[in-house]
Amino acid sequence: MAKTLRVRFQPPLVLTLLILGFFVFIPMISAFEYSIRTPLTGGYGWTHYIWAIREDDFFHYILRSMWLAGVTVTITLFVLVPTLTWLHLSRSEVRGLIDGLSLLPLVIPVVAFAVGAQISFPEFVQNTVLELPFLYFVLALPYAYRSLDIGLNSIPLKTITEAARSAGANWWRTITAVIVPVIRGSVMATIALTFALSLGEYTLTVLLHWDTFPTWVTFVAQDNILGAIAISMMSLIIPFLILTVITLFVPERSMQGRK
Amino acid sequence: MTSQVIEGGAPSRGRAFLASFIKNILPAVPLLLIVGFFFLFPIARLIYVSFLSNDNTFTIDNFKTAVQEPYRTGFLNSIKIGVFSAAIAAFPGAIAAYFIETRGNSKLRRTIAVMSGVLANTGGVPLAFMFYAALGMQGYLTKFLKYLGWDLYAGTFSLGSFIGLLVVYLYFQLPLMVIVFSPAIVSLRREWSEAARNLGASQFNYWIRIGIPLLFPSFIASFLLLFASGFSAYATANALTVGNLPLTPLQIGGLLDGNVSAAQLNLGKALGVVMIVISACAVIPYLAIQRRSAKWQKR
Repeated sequence: MAKTLRVRFQPPLVLTLLILGFFVFIPMISAFEYSIRTPLTGGYGWTHYIWAIREDDFFHYILRSMWLAGVTVTITLFVLVPTLTWLHLSRSEVRGLIDGLSLLPLVIPVVAFAVGAQISFPEFVQNTVLELPFLYFVLALPYAYRSLDIGLNSIPLKTITEAARSAGANWWRTITAVIVPVIRGSVMATIALTFALSLGEYTLTVLLHWDTFPTWVTFVAQDNILGAIAISMMSLIIPFLILTVITLFVPERSMQGRK
Repeated sequence: MTSQVIEGGAPSRGRAFLASFIKNILPAVPLLLIVGFFFLFPIARLIYVSFLSNDNTFTIDNFKTAVQEPYRTGFLNSIKIGVFSAAIAAFPGAIAAYFIETRGNSKLRRTIAVMSGVLANTGGVPLAFMFYAALGMQGYLTKFLKYLGWDLYAGTFSLGSFIGLLVVYLYFQLPLMVIVFSPAIVSLRREWSEAARNLGASQFNYWIRIGIPLLFPSFIASFLLLFASGFSAYATANALTVGNLPLTPLQIGGLLDGNVSAAQLNLGKALGVVMIVISACAVIPYLAIQRRSAKWQKR
């Protein structure tokens, strides 16, 4: 039955995809058409993309956004993977508390969080752009936590850890060489999600008066609107490509083929 | 009784406490520190400061101002756009999630998941550009609709108006619905529909008696999350409106930037606290429903 289902033509599915596709792609393609217009010659070309890439600020901000996103991902993995592994193994009483805490950022609107962040941190924190990765970490926490939690739930964690420990691996090695590879599906999902969120974060960044790639687009729009549209298109396509590469090239079930 | 036994058996109280601390809490300390300092502390301080007057004495005047004009309209508009954008996106999003999850193959499902993830996070200036290009005065869709005889701009429509903003919000609300509702559909087991059919139920009977009652809580939960997302969206509204549409997130942003001055310095904080309360009214039931459904959704 499963096989025939896969091969059979699916009118409801095709219709759904068509409607969704129209809604998603009409604005996207329209904006793309604007971004390749060349008003001076009246034709089409990559002028605005080339202009954007030649701007010094382009690489400055894109690199800055990338490394901020990289730091966020690092913090997320370094803090969450060991903590969650321990929570799953130890049956600690704080598990309920931490489960609840990890979901709390969903409750707080980002604007309110930004106001709180602006009035709370000591100056040495407010003066460094490194406050952003920690705040992005908080914003991504509900999703990252849940994704890793599901991953750890789906494997025989206790058996695996005991095997690794009795084979002589220390905790660090157990986590990096055994647990992370086994749950690499959810680790990759966590990386993708945290990375995309940090790369595109606008509200918190702009309200705390930092400049990153997404806020720079707003600035460019003030004097070169077509250039800004070109940059916007890139800011949409870059995370999309990164995410596609990360998700499609990792096997769906990390345990498959090993059982 | 058991506690007595443990106490008696421990070498000394201090050391026992230390041992239990190391075993039960220490590994969670990094996470607790980061969440505490970068999240709980700012929120606690926000709530505390929202009760302070300009001379740092306790007052509730900030909240009194926060529920008066123009902030009252801001809240009403924000709640309205949250409810409407969620209501319009929820049903089509749920149907789309159903067809994609039940009829699509694995590659399609994963592609849609990635795309929804990106689209649900679009907002701000890029999203505004896309809609200006499609539905702006000179937009493609506008021209096409005019060709068909429907002049969008004949009335009061503009992308910065309530209706305009609503249409733009759907662009991230629909993918969000697909993301949050898909897990519920995935966990509808085929055995259940087969069992129902074996017992003589028609397709219609199956949906009325089993499918819809099972999916309904998740549907409501997703709706609540969509409401919270539309209610607190800032970037898109900021890019599309020019002060013509009062929305709470924009009012807070204005107060924070100092673009708008208020007699009360801490008014913005009070607005933030009210936003948290409203958002909590939607997200906490969402989380509670999710937790309950997770019991039967485990596979």
